[in-house]
Amino acid sequence: MIYVIYALIIVSLFFAAAGVVGMLRMPDAYCRMQSSTNVGTLGTLGVMIAAVLYSAIYLHDGGMAVKCAVIGIFLILTNPIAGHALAKGAYHHGVRLSKKTIMDKYGEDMEK
Amino acid sequence: MRKTTLPAFISTLVVCYIFWLLITGQIPAVFKGGAAPQILIAGVLVSILAAAFTARFFIHSRAFHLFNPVRLITLLFYCVIIFMKELIKANIDVAKRALSPKLPVKPGIVKVPTELKSDYGLSMLSNSITLTPGTITMDVADEEGGTNLYIHWIDVGSEDPKEAGDQIKGTMENWIRRIFE
Amino acid sequence: MSMFIFLAICFAALALILLIRLFGGPSAADRAVAADAIEVLTDMALVLFALYSGRSIYLDIALVTAVLGFIGSVLIGRYLEGKL
Repeated sequence: MIYVIYALIIVSLFFAAAGVVGMLRMPDAYCRMQSSTNVGTLGTLGVMIAAVLYSAIYLHDGGMAVKCAVIGIFLILTNPIAGHALAKGAYHHGVRLSKKTIMDKYGEDMEK
Repeated sequence: MRKTTLPAFISTLVVCYIFWLLITGQIPAVFKGGAAPQILIAGVLVSILAAAFTARFFIHSRAFHLFNPVRLITLLFYCVIIFMKELIKANIDVAKRALSPKLPVKPGIVKVPTELKSDYGLSMLSNSITLTPGTITMDVADEEGGTNLYIHWIDVGSEDPKEAGDQIKGTMENWIRRIFE
Repeated sequence: MSMFIFLAICFAALALILLIRLFGGPSAADRAVAADAIEVLTDMALVLFALYSGRSIYLDIALVTAVLGFIGSVLIGRYLEGKL
């Protein structure tokens, strides 16, 4: 069972690393936000499931397992709200889209 | 400023109290018997204060909509199975893009129509879209002829609003309509 | 057991790498996104450290960091939008 827990953490470490590499390489701020969602979803989910399993099976501490689950659910629930606020704020602040962008319906409709 | 109504107050109180029990770690003790009574009573007081001040921001209509067990089970099924499948697929896709040496991105902001009407359904749909990597909801616009979402997409598959909507939303919209409408 | 502390150090190292984006990001939005991701990664390291030491006191710190990071990100977003 302990190997399942290690495997879950290593999978989520892989996705977090992919998100960090994406945040360093992507061309503009909005694409970097997409990569940061990668850190926030599968990067946290594996660790949280592993923490719940470990503290329930090996530490025999139900309160701790519930607390781990609450932290995981809280992170997953609040991540999209922060991402949405940052994306909208960045657009209204005037952060440019990269040159690779092929269409921008939002800017067209705002100018009307 | 809206007024606090009694059903909104009660449902916010129940949610606050469940959250209090979760973060103080009392849930196992409650089921076994022998939870510390001072923590339970303090929780009731704090929940009443929190609900009295915040209920008018959270709940505007249909306060007991989600207290129906059928809807709760459908919501749980949606979160654990349908949404998780989309999440893992999109995560692998974006991780592949970030790690491949040529960085194959084709970003763009598309406009997607949606048929949902209620506030809860719209916020659930836009949060689901933002939570899958590769798409971020930027704004919601009410126009004549329906509601539209502006979505930043890392790999634009189609410039047509209808087709783009089908590719982004998948089966999620039907499940959310079943839960919240 | 000591595997947990090793994995926690890996997460903390990822957070340190993100400092490049935090200090060198061209716009304010880049820095805010990097700060948000650093907060999530620090949370992961704290949870793993709580598992290593077997004490739930570190989970409280992780919960408080999560709440503060969320509020900070939303605040910066609203400020950039100009509605604050």
